[in-house]
Amino acid sequence: MKALFGSRPELARVRREGFGRGIRTVAPLLIGTGIWGLVTGVAMVKVGLTTTQAIAMTLLVFSGTVQLASLPLIAADAPLWVVMLTAVVVNLRFVIFSAGLHPFFRRFSIARRWLLSYFMVDMSFAMFLSRFADAPRDQRGTTEQVWFFLGMSAGSWVVWQTMSIIGIVLAAGVPAEWGLEFTAILALIAMTLPLIAGKPALVGAVTAGVIAVVAAGLPLKLGLLVAVVAGIAAAMATEIMLERHANETGGTT
Amino acid sequence: MSNVEIWLVVVGLTLVTILMRSSFLMLGDYFPLPERVQHGLRYAPVCALVALVTPELFVTQGAFDLSITNPKLVAGLAAVVVTLTTRSMIAAMAIGMLTFTLLRLLPVTA
Repeated sequence: MKALFGSRPELARVRREGFGRGIRTVAPLLIGTGIWGLVTGVAMVKVGLTTTQAIAMTLLVFSGTVQLASLPLIAADAPLWVVMLTAVVVNLRFVIFSAGLHPFFRRFSIARRWLLSYFMVDMSFAMFLSRFADAPRDQRGTTEQVWFFLGMSAGSWVVWQTMSIIGIVLAAGVPAEWGLEFTAILALIAMTLPLIAGKPALVGAVTAGVIAVVAAGLPLKLGLLVAVVAGIAAAMATEIMLERHANETGGTT
Repeated sequence: MSNVEIWLVVVGLTLVTILMRSSFLMLGDYFPLPERVQHGLRYAPVCALVALVTPELFVTQGAFDLSITNPKLVAGLAAVVVTLTTRSMIAAMAIGMLTFTLLRLLPVTA
């Protein structure tokens, strides 16, 4: 354990607690992650990647969305630049995520930031920011927070990679019509609902949900991006209206 | 795609993904985001998660599908109800998957 948490007892305790809390927070979500990883592993091989290529892809890219988005293009023999452009668009949400995490990780060296960003996934970003977004400026990037992120990352990484590699090796095992990847959506539902706290968040969530359906026809997952931007705008507009309303009633009484 | 092309895809996806994941962790030192924008980003996770889910439930093969013969919609709504009443993710996934599988095997004829 000393190798992981260091030898200074007080610091090691804070690190261990943060790490453990991160693992416990992410644990219920890992069933969905595991099944999603398994499905991605199977899909990569079915599209024509060799076992080595598939394992390299899952270890290096470590993003189910990007990996899955690239597979139909690989199957269709699309030009390289089309695959890359698709990846850029699908990844646009990471730009938002990394801006959100910057205040928490700014004290680290460039090398450590690269390492932390490799572990950035939708789930860990959502759980992290919903927990620490209200932390005052001078309490962002504490040891406890960073190790909480590392705990979530370690849990997600181990489960995702293990299940992906099992999927790659088994490949043909699971019939596609079982629709096991749907458990990932069910897991998202169960993790998202408790995060919708307060009127602005509710308005934002409903807006994003509706726009995502309306814009589902847009190519390259652009609908997701439009929905997120619209949802944030709606949430902030609601917040401003509520503030104004509170000020007005506060002024007249 | 040829073997070499697939390797190029693997390397390319690796670079694109790590560059975008690290983008503002690096650039944030030089282009700090205004407090207002950072504040708005608090809503990003919820919006992104909801936006990932709704098309999966309401869109079937590219078309808006608001019928009880849409297994994913019905199963998703079941998961919503279970989550709101029990707060248990395992229960939500179990009931949701059971609903989905039953509807898939026993198609409702409208």
